Amino acid sequence: MSFVTVLALGLSLLVAAPTLAHLLRRGRAKEQPFPAASLVPVTRSTARERSRLEDRGLLALRALMILCLAMLGAGPLVRCSRVALGRSGGASVALAIVVDDSASMHTRLPNGKTRFQRAIEGAHELLGSAREGDVVALVRAGKPARLALAAGTDLQAAARALDELRPTDRATDLGAAIALGRAALSSLPHKDKRVVLLSDLAGEFPSEPAEGVWAALPELATKTDDCGVLRAEQSGPRVTAVVACSTEAAARARTLKLVGKDPAVKAEARLVVQRGEQTLTLEAKADFTGAVELTGADQNPDDDRAEVAPESRGLSLAVHVDSEGEAVATGGAPLLEQALHALPYGAPVRPLPELPREAAELNDVAALFIDDPPGLTPETRGAIDGWLEGGAVAALFLGTRAHDTQLGASLEPFLRGAVDWEPLPKDSSIDVGSFDWLGAEAESLKDIAPKGRARLDSALLPGAEVVGRWSDGKVLITRQERGRGLLFSVGLPVSVEVSDLPLRPAFLALLDHMVGEALRRRGPRASEAGTEWWFPATGTLQVTGNGGPLVLREAEGQRVALPETIGRYTITLNGKSEARFITLPADEVLSMPKQELPNAWRATKTSAAPQVDASPELGWLLLGLLALELGARFWRLVRERRAQGAIQPTSP
Amino acid sequence: MTEIRTKLDWGAFAPLRLKARSVADGVYAGSHKSPRKGSGVEFGGHRAYVPGDDLRYIDRHALMRHGELLIREFETETDRDLWLFVDASKSMSYAGPGAPGPKYGFAALIAAALAYIAVRTGDRVGLDFLGGKGARPLPPRSGRDAFERIALALEDVEPDGDLSADPKLFEQALGQAQRSARRGAIQVVLTDLLDLPSGSLEALTTLTTRGRMLQVIQVLSPAERDFPFEGAVQLRSLEGKTLVETDAALSRQNYLAALAAAQKRAEQQLLPRGGRLLTCATSDAPEELVRRILSSHVEPSA
Repeated sequence: MSFVTVLALGLSLLVAAPTLAHLLRRGRAKEQPFPAASLVPVTRSTARERSRLEDRGLLALRALMILCLAMLGAGPLVRCSRVALGRSGGASVALAIVVDDSASMHTRLPNGKTRFQRAIEGAHELLGSAREGDVVALVRAGKPARLALAAGTDLQAAARALDELRPTDRATDLGAAIALGRAALSSLPHKDKRVVLLSDLAGEFPSEPAEGVWAALPELATKTDDCGVLRAEQSGPRVTAVVACSTEAAARARTLKLVGKDPAVKAEARLVVQRGEQTLTLEAKADFTGAVELTGADQNPDDDRAEVAPESRGLSLAVHVDSEGEAVATGGAPLLEQALHALPYGAPVRPLPELPREAAELNDVAALFIDDPPGLTPETRGAIDGWLEGGAVAALFLGTRAHDTQLGASLEPFLRGAVDWEPLPKDSSIDVGSFDWLGAEAESLKDIAPKGRARLDSALLPGAEVVGRWSDGKVLITRQERGRGLLFSVGLPVSVEVSDLPLRPAFLALLDHMVGEALRRRGPRASEAGTEWWFPATGTLQVTGNGGPLVLREAEGQRVALPETIGRYTITLNGKSEARFITLPADEVLSMPKQELPNAWRATKTSAAPQVDASPELGWLLLGLLALELGARFWRLVRERRAQGAIQPTSP
Repeated sequence: MTEIRTKLDWGAFAPLRLKARSVADGVYAGSHKSPRKGSGVEFGGHRAYVPGDDLRYIDRHALMRHGELLIREFETETDRDLWLFVDASKSMSYAGPGAPGPKYGFAALIAAALAYIAVRTGDRVGLDFLGGKGARPLPPRSGRDAFERIALALEDVEPDGDLSADPKLFEQALGQAQRSARRGAIQVVLTDLLDLPSGSLEALTTLTTRGRMLQVIQVLSPAERDFPFEGAVQLRSLEGKTLVETDAALSRQNYLAALAAAQKRAEQQLLPRGGRLLTCATSDAPEELVRRILSSHVEPSA
């Protein structure tokens, strides 16, 4: 700030001038002698009231005018901090505004607003400086990055879309958001394309920005003192919670306590003064229902509480095979088990010596694989049916035993009745084209040569979808929705003696597809915000979180729920309820905003100006105040005239 | 010399003696009829005989003609006392904007001029004060020295005292005059009629007994007469503790109306007792005022 600026702002000290003038004016009504004072009507209170009230209003007006004058005098030198677009040559600008809606944007700024609120304000300011011909796109940077508004010239629509944005508890995905923003502008003819980041830059983001990327609000990228409860889970009579703190100061003098319905359950644990994650264990009852909460305060109070999730044993995969034959062939675990172990999910594989007779036996099972059974008993069929309703995948591989179905047994709910096993006709092979959904691995099915095949054509149930065929058009694989579950029927067994299918990469791709579907349908018990939960299109469904029921959308013939905030969600499907939890991503607490923002992030070469001259606004304000003063004086004059006219001499 | 004696700024009314003579010289000073009917030479009418009357004045012609005892009365050309009462309370020290001097100065000038005229015509002149610091009442005297003494007494007084707070000052002054003033005396009270104690007007009217004449001259400053103030003002009376804060423009009409009403009330109280009220301002011509006083007492009001 230069000397001239100080001098100009020093004029604001003249704000005391009206006050002094007012006091001097009031001082003029000094006491003076007047013998006939007793004959003067007592209008003291009226006079004082008038002097006090009217003059106070005028005093405020004049003080404001002097302040405005001082600011106006310093106008070329003092600028208000407002985000605005600078232009080179007056050309139109294509702008992708990336609004970070991740969990770290809940952090409070010194003025009490959250970072997200300031980001929205900044976006509105940007829109305010845009003009006709500019193109604006909106991108949300919470993980995964999403396009909130496609590029368009309707600035009002952009403003409405901004107002509809809500903060979430997602992780940050700035890299993808920048890429999405650039992609949204890529097809536009504008020469000046910019991606504006309205983010705290916490989390992963490119160290060096690409050309035209500008971090417009550096005040968001400040150091934060925050502790957040990442997750809390019941473990027997204890509650285990994971807490993350961004700084040591944030963890100082804070404790984690249980908050439950039962007031008798009280437990507290003091946080270790350290940066990073720490696990705390609190004593509670086995059936504790409630939450854990951090005492004390930090800059982000929204992540200081987490619901306690019931104990979870994790999901497993179950396999039922004819162990005698398989063990002989491989000299170890059955081939199917080994193939499932090879998948990258890390889920335990549980061999089932016998097919389940009750649904409860499959409680923690996400996917069930049955290889060449001699039919399914009614008990097994009932158990599989009930288990599938909760969201799972069952796959049935049919082999030579298929036509030896025992009395009273059938292949339902996979297939109707029994199927025949026949030798593979000469020159028959798999229609590779029908396995495109397996990806590149489908090519490995090209010259497969099994000894025979199960004839599924005549046993298809209504609703079954053929997803793989033989070259002669016969059915090889079917897929059938059943409640939240999914059934696969494969016309080949997992036996190298009968088929070389298990030896092909496509087999692993097939299993991977089945397990992936299972996990998606089963849904993880705890997941991060932004994880989609898929449900069948039929039946009654309601997903309720802390903020009320979620809006479900239709996708790929299913219903999808998208939880955005941390907390407990109750899913009620066909009358059955289950609880799921959305947890806080650790990076949203631990990742500190960049303290030293590289200059390249602060401005682009297109000279986007972060500040604007406020002189016009001040000038208009001054004119308005002047008009108000004149109006007040006129009103006062009229009132005095009326008052004088109203006074009539007292009749003798 | 007189200015040195007192602290009062006499303004345009100094020196008092010269100014008073100048005023008196400008006024026609004719002889005045005596209101007392008695043993003069000019027949003045009959009245019924009451025991104790001088038998020499019984009209025997009327007794013989009507059979009633009637006494013949005659008007006499006689000397009459002039009593001057000058208000020297604190409020009389007020001059105010546009005034040539304080109210007391003007009142003293009028009193001295009247005294000068009276002395020249051979009447006796007495002086008393209402309040005032250094006030010395003077009994009625005639002769050239009487004027000098009266002028000196007037100059020696400094307006002071609060009549509203000390009603005894008022009663003492009037009581002395009431006891010593002769029948037919002319009594002139020069006062502003402001901040007088309650019942003071009634006390003044007691001076009208025994054929004595009373004239009350209300002396006001131009500011008191016109209320020329502007804007917000805070006014404090010189007597009493009245403090008024007001907007002059808004209050002017009400003040003037209140002043007129007060004058009306005073006049209504004096007239039935034979008294008379004259109002003036210190900016008025003193000769004209003296002329009005003399004429009103030569031709008593109906």
